[in-house]
Amino acid sequence: MASWKYGMAGIFETEESIIKAAYKTREMGFKNFEAISPYPIHGMEEACAIKRSWIPYVTFSAALVGLAGALALTYWTSAVDWAINVGGKPFFSLPAFIPIMFELTVLFAALTSVGAMLYACGIPRIDPPIIDKDLTCSKFAIFIPNDDSGYDESKISDMFRALGASEVKKAEF
Amino acid sequence: MAANNNEHHVSLVLNKFEPSQRLKTISFAMVAIGLIGFVVGLLKNQDRLWTSYLTSFFFVSCLGLGGFFFAVLQHIAKAGWSTSIRRQMEAMSSFIPMMVIGSLVLLAGLKHLYPWADPAFVAENPLIQAKTAYLNTTFLVVRLLVFGLGVLFFARAIVGNSIKQDQNGDAKYTHKNVALGVAYILFFALSFSLFSVDLLMSLMPTWYSTIFGIYCFAGLFQSSLAFLILMMIYIKRKGYVQGYYNQEHIHDVAKFLKGFTIFWAYIAFSQFMLIWYANIPEETEFYLMRSEGAWMSISVALLVLKFIVPFLALLPRGAKRNEGHLILVCLLVLVMQYTDIYWLVYPNFFEGEVVFGFYEISILLGFLGLFLLGIQKFYQRNNMVAIKDPRLDEALHHHVSY
Repeated sequence: MASWKYGMAGIFETEESIIKAAYKTREMGFKNFEAISPYPIHGMEEACAIKRSWIPYVTFSAALVGLAGALALTYWTSAVDWAINVGGKPFFSLPAFIPIMFELTVLFAALTSVGAMLYACGIPRIDPPIIDKDLTCSKFAIFIPNDDSGYDESKISDMFRALGASEVKKAEF
Repeated sequence: MAANNNEHHVSLVLNKFEPSQRLKTISFAMVAIGLIGFVVGLLKNQDRLWTSYLTSFFFVSCLGLGGFFFAVLQHIAKAGWSTSIRRQMEAMSSFIPMMVIGSLVLLAGLKHLYPWADPAFVAENPLIQAKTAYLNTTFLVVRLLVFGLGVLFFARAIVGNSIKQDQNGDAKYTHKNVALGVAYILFFALSFSLFSVDLLMSLMPTWYSTIFGIYCFAGLFQSSLAFLILMMIYIKRKGYVQGYYNQEHIHDVAKFLKGFTIFWAYIAFSQFMLIWYANIPEETEFYLMRSEGAWMSISVALLVLKFIVPFLALLPRGAKRNEGHLILVCLLVLVMQYTDIYWLVYPNFFEGEVVFGFYEISILLGFLGLFLLGIQKFYQRNNMVAIKDPRLDEALHHHVSY
């Protein structure tokens, strides 16, 4: 079972206030905080200074593996292991292999991306702690884990209140 | 959607377009070179003149049609993000009247281009005789006129509505353009297929490919997206339009360009593979001609430079947001689109031997010059942004997430 992080959470009521809070939290020097929202918010990546995901590199590598694998598969089955003369064409006929290479490229890239995404997001999260029930519906939160640099409960609490948080509490995430 | 861009405040600047002296001089010089090429060709080498005319005419017509098609697509999809760049697509449609005239001029060269237009040749070939119900000059003129005037009618109506909206911002124009747009797409899908079959496929009347229209459309869309990006960057850099569109919009058009680069390759390969697999002489002839001598290197160049290189060059996110890089890729795509049409036309006349020179370059410059002049005229007469479009606000806050 995954172990949860302990820290402080501030609950916010509006999209504008969570964006502002994310900017401010970053300015205060926190790095590992999470912004929690029921839906994607434009500008949130910039506000939290989230770096680009590494998943595209996984996708590209998996695509290359799929491409090479399909070429190897079609070559080995059609020209080496069970060579059959089809319409007088050479055993190794690249045009006939391209659909398979294309399909396996896409298949490997797609499945691996989904796998990498699940890993990157730590999904599935089984029975996770709940900061606030409304976070999946109408409210927003910033969560700062207690191992982040400059973690100080009273300071964070003051900051959240100054930013207009409707509630500040100790939480697990 | 509220604006969350606390970091950047958008200041909107919309200047009246006045082409720089250099741009004007270049455009007129291009038209002049084209005219010289045309006259010299008429006097000295009519065969070469008409092949180069057909290639350049089709290439530039595709740019005009593609810009208009993309604008119509925005109306049908009720797209918000693209409202601030729709005028750039509409500007490309300014070539359409010239396309109608150009297709009529082409009729003068019919005998030099199409074997089926020569009664003596048809009389000897029963295979072509059987197709004369479709392949005859009268019916061709009818088809060209229906296509040209039809597109012109829709362009007048749809672009016209968009421009009228600049006056009062009435939302009824937006709604009207949806219905007109749907009608246009249906009309365009069928008539452009026939247009490409008539002008390019019938150069070899015994050969046929049922995917040919889509193949031409794929090149049309790919190249006009490349031209659109170049124009957007030019206008942005010259400062005619500021704040209405930015890197985010260019990024999204570049995504379209990447997508339709793949689409072109997909269609091109679909056509090739079925013909290669079935191996029927009357179909393979097309590819055999293009695998002889120097034509083979052009065939390979199409695969590498029209698909593999642009595809990889447009793959990283940073590449689609880097203007210098995009300019290079777009120029490559445009050059390869010309090469593609050249590759469809020339092997029919020059077996195993690649010819390229004064006639091809001058006529191409002439058509490009006309295209650029049309766009400049359009911008001088109209606003460079659809300023009263009901969805403009959405475009101003357009933001591409990671």
